[in-house]
Amino acid sequence: MRIEFERSGGFANIRVAGAVDTESLPPQEAQALSDLVNKLDFFALPSVIPSVTGGADRFQYTLTVEDEGRRHTVELPESAATGDFANLIGSLTALARRGS
Amino acid sequence: MTHHNPLECIIPPYVVEKVAQNGTPAQKEWARRTILQSAQIRGQRQAVADMTQRGQRMAAPARDCTVFDCGTGTDLPGTRVRGEGDPACNDPNLPDIDEAFDGATLTYDFYKDIYGRNSIDGQGLPLVSSVNFGINYENAFWDGTQMAYGRGHEALPPAERLFNRFTIDLSVIGHELTHGVVQYEAGLVYFQQAGALNESFADVFGSLVRQYKLNQTAAEADWIIGKGLFSSNINGVGIRSMKEPGTAYNDPLIGKDPQPGHMNDYVNTSQDQGGVHINSGIPNHAFYVVSRELGGKAWEKAGKIWYVALCDKLTRVSQFTDAARLTHEAAGELYGKGSLEQKAVETGWKEVGLPVSASEGDKVDLSGCTRLVGGLAVLLLGLVGKRALTRKK
Ligand SMILES: [Zn+2]
Ligand SMILES: [Zn+2]
Repeated sequence: MRIEFERSGGFANIRVAGAVDTESLPPQEAQALSDLVNKLDFFALPSVIPSVTGGADRFQYTLTVEDEGRRHTVELPESAATGDFANLIGSLTALARRGS
Repeated sequence: MTHHNPLECIIPPYVVEKVAQNGTPAQKEWARRTILQSAQIRGQRQAVADMTQRGQRMAAPARDCTVFDCGTGTDLPGTRVRGEGDPACNDPNLPDIDEAFDGATLTYDFYKDIYGRNSIDGQGLPLVSSVNFGINYENAFWDGTQMAYGRGHEALPPAERLFNRFTIDLSVIGHELTHGVVQYEAGLVYFQQAGALNESFADVFGSLVRQYKLNQTAAEADWIIGKGLFSSNINGVGIRSMKEPGTAYNDPLIGKDPQPGHMNDYVNTSQDQGGVHINSGIPNHAFYVVSRELGGKAWEKAGKIWYVALCDKLTRVSQFTDAARLTHEAAGELYGKGSLEQKAVETGWKEVGLPVSASEGDKVDLSGCTRLVGGLAVLLLGLVGKRALTRKK
């Protein structure tokens, strides 16, 4: 499974981006990531998740997952990034930082 | 996100204010009703300058700033740590509590003293700020009801830090609070050009709050937004430069400041809500040029023109050319057609590639406000009577 991750927006609008191939990760980390993707039912999500709260200077995320010949991209606002989304984005942000 | 009315054109409130002060009893009554009506219809719009007196007459609620601590969580607002009348924390390990409190009160006082505005909504809305939001959270935001600030990377080892705490610069706090003001006034949609205007108003008044605090002239001010937000590991003075967009930072780790300062360099992108923090450099620079041309304290004239345009002229969907035309129009109404102030506004927009022609600036959109304009005409003819008053209800 390959996951691409991009963050834009926020007050400072400093882009954070990265891609991870779960095969290149330690098995436990790889399993945790694919569990999160499955729990979110990622391939069934709409491609744009709208913001419900309004406001300003929040982050905007774009996630793309490739797995077994499928590829799906989801764009979502920080306000919608709760629960499993928050955990997935947290892991990917940490990986993107490590990689940069 | 906002409860804005489609009726976007009313008699300039400062005209109504003048009538309220100098008119006959019937005219004063008309003005009073108009003020009440616009307050009801348009949410919280306000006139400039002499509104302070009216605020006192109506015994509006006093300043009410409170700071909460999220304890690195993301549930808002968190635990209350400081409010009005409480002593400062003076804790060197938690400078953000006092910075958020002082920043909110200074911004409140700026809006009140300079533009006669009572808080974000114009009606004394309590100002809630939360600090210590999230873990290593490198951001500050307005969530539609309150401000929130991360501590950046201050908990990380010094070598790993990119961002300091987001309360470090008053311009950030003024910026976030102004997003609230924009929400209650023009209500600019947070997307593409309207969103970039939303961002630009937040930068303009964020910068002006700091200039006011430091009592700086336009020439003395640095026009940097988010000064000192970067750690010493990053080559940058701040996040944005209104004086020279695109020059605030340039660093191998995070790249270069992407802001354009001219329409020729407008960036089309799907990131960042369509580049709201990128293309805001264009109206930001226009405001800087207007301030530079006028000299003196930027909040006095340039800021007032922008404030009136924000409250009484721009709409949810305004684009850059609308902002140019409507600030030009506001300058003409405040200082006279062809005045130095109005010419400075022309110079500002021209320098960023958005020229306002004099004839275009004179255009008035009458749609949706015929009744009110009609009311003003009747008033000016001195014919206002009980019939007109009942009709206006
Ligand atoms: Zn902003
Ligand atoms: Zn210039």
